[in-house]
Amino acid sequence: MTTESKVGKLGDIKKIIKDGDKVAVGGSWLGGHPMAIIREIIRSNIKNLTAITVVGSIDIDLLVGAGCLSRLMFSFVSMEAFGLAPNFRRAIEKEGLPYDEITGLAVIIGLEAGGRNMPFLPYRGPFGSDLVKYRPEFYKEIKCPFTGEALIAAAAIVPDVAIIHATRADHTGNVQIEGTSGTDVEMMRAAKKRIVSVEEIVSPEEIRRNPYKTKIPKFQVDMVIEAPMGAHPCACAPSYVFDPWHIMQYMQAAASPETFQQYLDHYVKKPEWEYLEAIGGIKQASILRRLAREVKFL
Amino acid sequence: MTKYAKDYSVGELMCVTLAREIEDGDVIVLGSFTPLAYASYILAKITHAPNSTLLAYAAVDFRPFQLSFIRAESSATIGASCIWTMLEDLNSVHLKGRGDVEAISSIQADQYGNINLSVVGEYDSPKLRGPGGAGAPEVIKMHRKMIGYFPNHSKMTFVPKVDVITGTRYVIDAEERIKQGYRPGPIKYISNLAVITKEKKAKPFRIDSLHPGVTADQVVENTGFDLEVPKDIPETELPTAEQVRLIREEVDPYGTLAFDFKPGKERLGYLHEILQKELEAIGYA
Repeated sequence: MTTESKVGKLGDIKKIIKDGDKVAVGGSWLGGHPMAIIREIIRSNIKNLTAITVVGSIDIDLLVGAGCLSRLMFSFVSMEAFGLAPNFRRAIEKEGLPYDEITGLAVIIGLEAGGRNMPFLPYRGPFGSDLVKYRPEFYKEIKCPFTGEALIAAAAIVPDVAIIHATRADHTGNVQIEGTSGTDVEMMRAAKKRIVSVEEIVSPEEIRRNPYKTKIPKFQVDMVIEAPMGAHPCACAPSYVFDPWHIMQYMQAAASPETFQQYLDHYVKKPEWEYLEAIGGIKQASILRRLAREVKFL
Repeated sequence: MTKYAKDYSVGELMCVTLAREIEDGDVIVLGSFTPLAYASYILAKITHAPNSTLLAYAAVDFRPFQLSFIRAESSATIGASCIWTMLEDLNSVHLKGRGDVEAISSIQADQYGNINLSVVGEYDSPKLRGPGGAGAPEVIKMHRKMIGYFPNHSKMTFVPKVDVITGTRYVIDAEERIKQGYRPGPIKYISNLAVITKEKKAKPFRIDSLHPGVTADQVVENTGFDLEVPKDIPETELPTAEQVRLIREEVDPYGTLAFDFKPGKERLGYLHEILQKELEAIGYA
């Protein structure tokens, strides 16, 4: 008997991601974001999304700048050492993008609640934080039924779709993540539908050779897309580092809506293969891969 | 007899001061890539705290590595003893109160132990939308010590009351912390001028030590809330010659530590310089 294949092309994501969906975006800081899928969302003109991120960066900034979002849930969005995220700032400060700023632990615990099919999970939450006051729909103070201790209930987060980028998967959807998985696993458990892009699709035998690396089993995956360098300009540790030269260029472009539009036209609104050529092709990819390998321990 | 360095930058002084807060055996967490915190922890690990456990990204108990602007994540990952998801990290370290230090910074910090990484101005019509706090607003309560570092000690940063409380130490006094299931420890802020500490909810921050050449008046003038000013304030212990050598030659030869102390306009140029050096080191430039 042959096994079912979940392999799709980037262009197939619109079969799963629909206008108005709540989309959990994997990755963390400047690493592991599903950037090829993000670019495809922009190319496919999917709109009115609510993006959910724990620690976002250029993934969220691109979606905001391209006008794909009608709401944002985040605990952190920053370009780290490169500065604050320009489109994110502009959209909130000047254009009034609605958002829910939730503390990082509450987003993670909320996703875990979603994955466990629970309406909430309690923890010793952020008492004293104004965010609890501002977003009562995500936080409630409750009493422990055993001790009476005051606790915070973090509301379950159930995304319509989770999108993540990983190291490898087989065609049936068993996913291995070599490096930082952030909240990818929790997002995939909580979401109704899930898409994963991977550096390479390998055989099921290859996956079974090292099952300890498999973080997400196939029944939690709906579509697998092969997208080499699919996290660029973010890192996919330990395979390649983030691309600081491209990110600096991005920061300049995103400084104004006009130049950002040029960025979208030049890099994003063309097939993914042309994107990979535009950012420097094989030479740039090999520099970023070599940098990731050449680390020095003390 | 300790041989102190004669030549050091304020960044190196802050780095060493933060490193000295790390005790051998501590569990130390790194959040965003901040060169100062990374350099401090790695310096502590290769000197006085070899038994500390370092956590960054998904990596647990990673080997100390040479800092690089781009390679922190791959270095931590390749050198890790264990790879966790964020939830495992949360369950194993933060929620159980197993963390000793996760140095944080903030747009604003106030006299009550509150931090603001959210907005400057009104929450619904902000003058500045900050990045948000990620884990910081919650873990500052859970970790043994709350350590903050501030490269620019000013009334803009140290305000009487933060515009928005993104997070707070919440429980400050040692007895109260023990009662509520948290390990006791101080709030300590290391700035470019001084070290200030708070240990009691009802008492103000106290000037613990002044960096060389800085007066108590200068610290008071640049702080937006009242400070306790003891009569004899010691000078912040200087970096040793060996610590400075280790920072410059081993931990941070590319000079990432200086990045946080460059004025906004010079940062991009400085970054290009660092990247050029990193490329040369792997034979590419």
